[in-house]
Amino acid sequence: MKPLISIKSGGPASWAIRIACALAVGYILLWIPTRGSNSLIDTATTALTLMGAALSLNLLLGFTGQISLGHSAFFGIGTYTTAIFVTRWGWSPLKTLPVAFVVAFVVGAVVSLPALRIKGVYLALVTLALGVVFPQFIKWPKIAWLTGGARGLNDTGFKFDKNNRTYEIFGWNPWGNLRGENVKPFYFWIGIGIVAIIYLICRGLVKSRVGRSLIAIRDNSTAAAVMGVNLAVTKGIVFGLSAAMCALPGCLTAMKGSVVTPDTALLTVVGSITFLIVMVVGGAGSLWGPIIGAVVFELITEKTSDWVDPDKIPSLIRPIFSWSDTAPAGGIFALALVVLMFVAPLGLVGLWKQTIARVVSVVPRPAGSGTLDAPESSAGGIPTWRPQQEPPAGDEAE
Amino acid sequence: MTLLRAQGLTAGYGPVTVLHEIDIEVNEGEIVVVLGANGAGKTTTMRAISGTIPRHGTIEFQGHSIQKAAADAIVRAGVAQVPQGRGTFPELSVQDNLLAGAYVRRDGSKAIGDDIRKWFSVFPRLEERATQRAGSLSGGEQQMLAIARALMSRPKLLLCDEPSMGLAPLITQELFNVIGRLNREEGLSVLLVEQNANLAMHMASRVYLLETGVIVASGSAAELSADDSIRKAYLGF
Ligand SMILES: Nc1ncnc2c1ncn2[C@@H]1O[C@H](COP(=O)(O)OP(=O)(O)OP(=O)(O)O)[C@@H](O)[C@H]1O
Ligand SMILES: [Mg+2]
Repeated sequence: MKPLISIKSGGPASWAIRIACALAVGYILLWIPTRGSNSLIDTATTALTLMGAALSLNLLLGFTGQISLGHSAFFGIGTYTTAIFVTRWGWSPLKTLPVAFVVAFVVGAVVSLPALRIKGVYLALVTLALGVVFPQFIKWPKIAWLTGGARGLNDTGFKFDKNNRTYEIFGWNPWGNLRGENVKPFYFWIGIGIVAIIYLICRGLVKSRVGRSLIAIRDNSTAAAVMGVNLAVTKGIVFGLSAAMCALPGCLTAMKGSVVTPDTALLTVVGSITFLIVMVVGGAGSLWGPIIGAVVFELITEKTSDWVDPDKIPSLIRPIFSWSDTAPAGGIFALALVVLMFVAPLGLVGLWKQTIARVVSVVPRPAGSGTLDAPESSAGGIPTWRPQQEPPAGDEAE
Repeated sequence: MTLLRAQGLTAGYGPVTVLHEIDIEVNEGEIVVVLGANGAGKTTTMRAISGTIPRHGTIEFQGHSIQKAAADAIVRAGVAQVPQGRGTFPELSVQDNLLAGAYVRRDGSKAIGDDIRKWFSVFPRLEERATQRAGSLSGGEQQMLAIARALMSRPKLLLCDEPSMGLAPLITQELFNVIGRLNREEGLSVLLVEQNANLAMHMASRVYLLETGVIVASGSAAELSADDSIRKAYLGF
């Protein structure tokens, strides 16, 4: 079927669409913290947390094809770094972000050492072990003096009270009075900042020489090696970076809540699975996938949170979910996942691209038209990750 | 002048030793051909030189030992490899494959862009498919891409493992013409593994015969084809 409309990449129409999208996103981002209800701001902040974690995980999977079930541990490293520095040493929460980044980077790079040698299911199991061990480690009595053990830590975030009404950046106070309810937009903006940083790092990597070499490793590691790519160092850095970025939304969790315990859901393996699901439903291997996935995940969770009461479920689908005595968001997502894997294995973003391709065709710029000096990556994002595809055998005797 | 000198080169996979103390030399400006039956160890020789498998012996490139160097350092030193089979990156576009070939270069995107244009003019088929995924190219086009990509690192020595595998005779001829031209015009030295012995012998400065990991004969193409038994066994006429 021939597409109805055709748009030139880089032409005025494509720019108009880009600007329109940017304006829409900008409008929503401003609307939520200024006009939205408190619960909406809360939901949005949680969505941002998931976004950051899923984006980090996506860097690993989309680029190097490695699956990690241990990202909840890196997330938790972020949470506990902030919690410990704030409660034990009285640091300002924002200053703990770079510390968490570095700590998680180091742990991630160390974990990547076995990851260099193993693949697929084995790697999934090793990282799963990390995810399982982390909460146990935090509870370990010998380090309870630091981590607070199973009881956790209190007052891990910003302390706003009568005497301390606001948070200033070098004497500049853009948030007004931060007591009580007004504090919510503040966390929202921290979330935006964290997601923006992670997004920009991922995007920068995709378009760069390093990004290309990562896809080269995933496609054909022997050939990548004879191009001069140092496999061990490159993979280690990406694993470390993915871990480091995942710690940042973890920090936010500690900042906005007043209590941190090792049993917080996102710090256990449940967190790892959630990040993975968010990423896959949104679209693994594309930059926007995890972002869309997190928004949809939170919307569904929010909409169905009172479905514990069967009368609240719309009558049409009541028979399906009424038996559940917990909110069925997880079940709905699991169903969505199964359906998606059949109709669109590349997630919602993949589905959108398939659909839009029927209507609009984007004409790529002709080759050699002056863009060789700063070439764009082939797929405009992280090139497609294909879940069912075996990596093609390159050097045949491999 | 000797560009590459490997002496007592021994290599293998795990407990299996495939190459047994072979000596190979490539002088500047030469095209050296390695002939041998399937499983003789030709690909293993290439890998041992490019540092992608563990090896023993002395290997010198431009007078410096590269015996202990890792694969990426060897590429930086100026040795590029076209691996056997289609070693392209299927998910990257043709253009990005070429950029990946320039991974070790530090001379800026301008010079790299110029080189891409140059290889596009040598292989016009690649230019037509510049933004296409490499995985969607035909076998012959991928082989051209693999060679162009290896040359993107501006090597002094090209290790080329059976570039004609799976190609139509006409394309094979075209490819060999290009290699010959690069050798004459740019002084590129080539270590070539080729099953199509007749074709390879035409352009070879010197030839090595490899049999189960041992070099059984070496010399100029004329010398080797003058030897009846060698001609029968390897050249088939
Ligand atoms: N990755 C590997 N692991 C174990 N053994 C291998 C490996 N690759 C090759 N071999 C063995 O090494 C020997 C030489 O293989 P090699 O690939 O060097 O042969 P070749 O001369 O290139 O053959 P062909 O002409 O078929 O490409 C063979 O006996 C092969 O079984
Ligand atoms: Mg071979």
